[in-house]
Amino acid sequence: MNRPRLGKLARTKGAIVGVAALATALSACGSPATTSAAEGARQLVIARAMDVSTLDPQRGYCDTCQIIFSAVYETLVTVDPDDPSSIVPRLATSWTVNDDATSFTFELDPDAVFSDGSPVEASDVQFTYERMVNLQGSASFLLAGLESIETPDAHTVTVNFADPNSAFLAIGAAPYLGIVNEEVAVANGATAGEDAATADASEEWFLQNSAGSGPYTLAGYESGQSVELTANENYWGDEPTFPSVVINEVTDSSSQLQQLQQGDVDIAMQIAPDALAQLEGVTGVTTEVVDSYNFVYLMLAPGAAGGEALEDERVREAIKLAIDYDGVIDTTVGGYGKTQGSPIPNGFEGSEDQELPSQDLEQAKELLAEAGYADGFTISSAYPKFAVYGVDFDVMMQAIQQDLAEVGIELELTPMEYTQWAEMLGSGGSPITAVYFAPDHMDSSQYVQYFGMVPTGAWSATASVDGAVVNQAEVDGLAQALTETGEDRIATYTALGQEMADDLIILPIVNPQLVLAYASDVTGVEYSPCCNLDLAGLGIQE
Amino acid sequence: MGPATREEIMFRFILKRVASMPLLLLGVVTLAFVISRLLPADPIASIVGQRNLGNEEIVAAAEAKWGLDQPLPTQYLTYIGNLLTGDLGTSFQTKMPVSSDIAERLPATLELTLMALIIGAIGGILLGVISASRKNRAPDHVSRVFALIGSSLPIFWTGLVLLFVFYAQLGILPGPGRLSSRVIPPADVTGFYTIDALLQGDMPLFWDAFGHLLLPAFIMGWGLMGTISRLVRASMLDELGSDYVRTIRAKGVSESQLMRGHVLRNSLTPVVTILGFAFGAMLMGAVLVETIFSWNGIGSYAVEATRSLDYPAINAVCLLGGAVFLIANLVTDIAYPAIDPRVRLS
Repeated sequence: MNRPRLGKLARTKGAIVGVAALATALSACGSPATTSAAEGARQLVIARAMDVSTLDPQRGYCDTCQIIFSAVYETLVTVDPDDPSSIVPRLATSWTVNDDATSFTFELDPDAVFSDGSPVEASDVQFTYERMVNLQGSASFLLAGLESIETPDAHTVTVNFADPNSAFLAIGAAPYLGIVNEEVAVANGATAGEDAATADASEEWFLQNSAGSGPYTLAGYESGQSVELTANENYWGDEPTFPSVVINEVTDSSSQLQQLQQGDVDIAMQIAPDALAQLEGVTGVTTEVVDSYNFVYLMLAPGAAGGEALEDERVREAIKLAIDYDGVIDTTVGGYGKTQGSPIPNGFEGSEDQELPSQDLEQAKELLAEAGYADGFTISSAYPKFAVYGVDFDVMMQAIQQDLAEVGIELELTPMEYTQWAEMLGSGGSPITAVYFAPDHMDSSQYVQYFGMVPTGAWSATASVDGAVVNQAEVDGLAQALTETGEDRIATYTALGQEMADDLIILPIVNPQLVLAYASDVTGVEYSPCCNLDLAGLGIQE
Repeated sequence: MGPATREEIMFRFILKRVASMPLLLLGVVTLAFVISRLLPADPIASIVGQRNLGNEEIVAAAEAKWGLDQPLPTQYLTYIGNLLTGDLGTSFQTKMPVSSDIAERLPATLELTLMALIIGAIGGILLGVISASRKNRAPDHVSRVFALIGSSLPIFWTGLVLLFVFYAQLGILPGPGRLSSRVIPPADVTGFYTIDALLQGDMPLFWDAFGHLLLPAFIMGWGLMGTISRLVRASMLDELGSDYVRTIRAKGVSESQLMRGHVLRNSLTPVVTILGFAFGAMLMGAVLVETIFSWNGIGSYAVEATRSLDYPAINAVCLLGGAVFLIANLVTDIAYPAIDPRVRLS
């Protein structure tokens, strides 16, 4: 056969040239095409799996929203980063609270201006709060019980509640209550009227623009891709170090890690605890593990179909005692987590003296025998396929399934998509399910309102086969706590924490810690209790 | 009137197919609408968030806002009515018109898919030719193993491994995303970053975008490369055994001319079919690669829409998928006679 030898050689040469050209091209890829000029004034790049679905502060409700809203909008007050239980000024210079904690009067800082240069006035506060209530958005519950707002002058605003609400100062620091420039918002379709839920047409505008007084303004947003903020030129406070911040959507935790390693991002926000070892000794990268207020819990529902066995408190106690908490924490978050005594998480008022759960198989078996389940029983658990704060619900539920099997309880697991799980909850529920919770503000009342056997409680309706449960001690305790401050309030929340632990409806499983991983020359990277990550507090090491 | 010319037949064929599309697409949308509503799941949960599931006021306000409080037939008629005016609705999740969501994401996936298709087709044909002309010798075996790896390893695994090796360890290929950090995207003309960068004459930006395409496109194209190389090899070997090849060889035509001019060309017909199908499948199945490479495309949009039961987005993605499939099929059918004169449309 006629073999084209020369032709083959020519092709080989061609291939070599081709590879060389590609290599040249690729080395060009290594160097970014356009970068900010001066070192120290670079754009801060953050990698994060974002959960943003709106950027209207009064409509939003998500972890990423907390970061963005607190950088773009300002609340009347904020929490002291060094002492989260202490409230410090932001837009308001001072405030007074009446004796029964129903009326709060704030004096606004006369220097405060929005990004368009116009002053922040009492009418903006009124507009923001009323809009928040009337939009009936995801975070509207924060202002439940709001009765009226008075604006005696341009820099004084009084917020009145129907019932005592000593939690309001803490709530007022939540980023969702960031004050919006009324004039600009209204010009772009916003309204605070009673029909705001349907009449407000500004949501799309808020996705690309902002109307706040914070250190940054929203420069752009592309859902699924990135959020970009630029420093507010008219900012009335200290100028932030980074002229521009971009948060890139990076869903995958290992991609976040690689990008941090390669220096392509400055902060990676969701590094899995078990990947920490990979970052050890990497030059230029700092990692820290810090406590969080988030937790993952089991919810027991005797009132759900098939949950009858749980009606007996001894059975619920036995389940609590059968779980190997340290084992679950090792399996889910590589040991980077804590146990938690009641639905009030570690670090909040009322959490200090709670007894932490621990495994006691013998006692669990005894309790089951007493309750007539010496041979155990079978029970089902439908749970959402979440993976939050490093905890993969599948992994956690399988670990719990094994623990319960040790005392003869056979747990039948049904993992579900979130929307399917929600539908299931609304139509009968599941005897055992798993959920997570992150605080909206720094007051413990939210835990009693949500987890307590009180009328607003999310899980009280299925807490018994006889229907909704009301624990009067919790109803009264909550009302009392909302009139109190200081030591009295701590004592009341401690008692409430104990009551909720004794309800044996909510079983906190793990309080996961957070991994902070960032370029070593970035300073001020901290887990902020109000705002997740305080962008304006970040700096560059000299 | 004489018999229809070849062009007339082609024109009528295209017209007929295009005319049937709206009806087929209406069927697709209706099916998507019905199936998504039949699921035992509640989109309100993702709209109001888990924290508000028990808050009747907030749930009712959200249902009213998104029209979910209307009876199903009303919802369907409203949807179809809007669709006829070109309104795909507003996404529950992104709060943006679905049409602008798609306009933003489709070019990203198209750019990736086309690149994957080019890599898969060129690589596959080259490997196939090498295999066929070196049948049962080392190059054939190497190409077979390479093809096998590409078609059998799961994309999420190869994606992570190749990223780890070429980005995290060796640092010779760029990481996830369509551009490097701190790089400003080109002005939006076509939505293809490579083309838009060229249009504004920014070569460093072009190379940055091009470099970001290589790894994800290779991973998507690898499986296709395997399929095509096997196909080309088999049909080339078939052709090589046929009578006309013997005649051509007898005429003294060089081996490379024979391969290029006759055998390969005749072996490409099945490749065109594969490419048509692969394009549709890749476009809608890009989600794994898009997730690993933080590629803001239509695949991840579709998955997010399904997960949160974002009805308008689900319907639109189904509509798009249907349209892509129909168009890819049509293009394949038109391409046949162009490549192989033996095929005639009737």
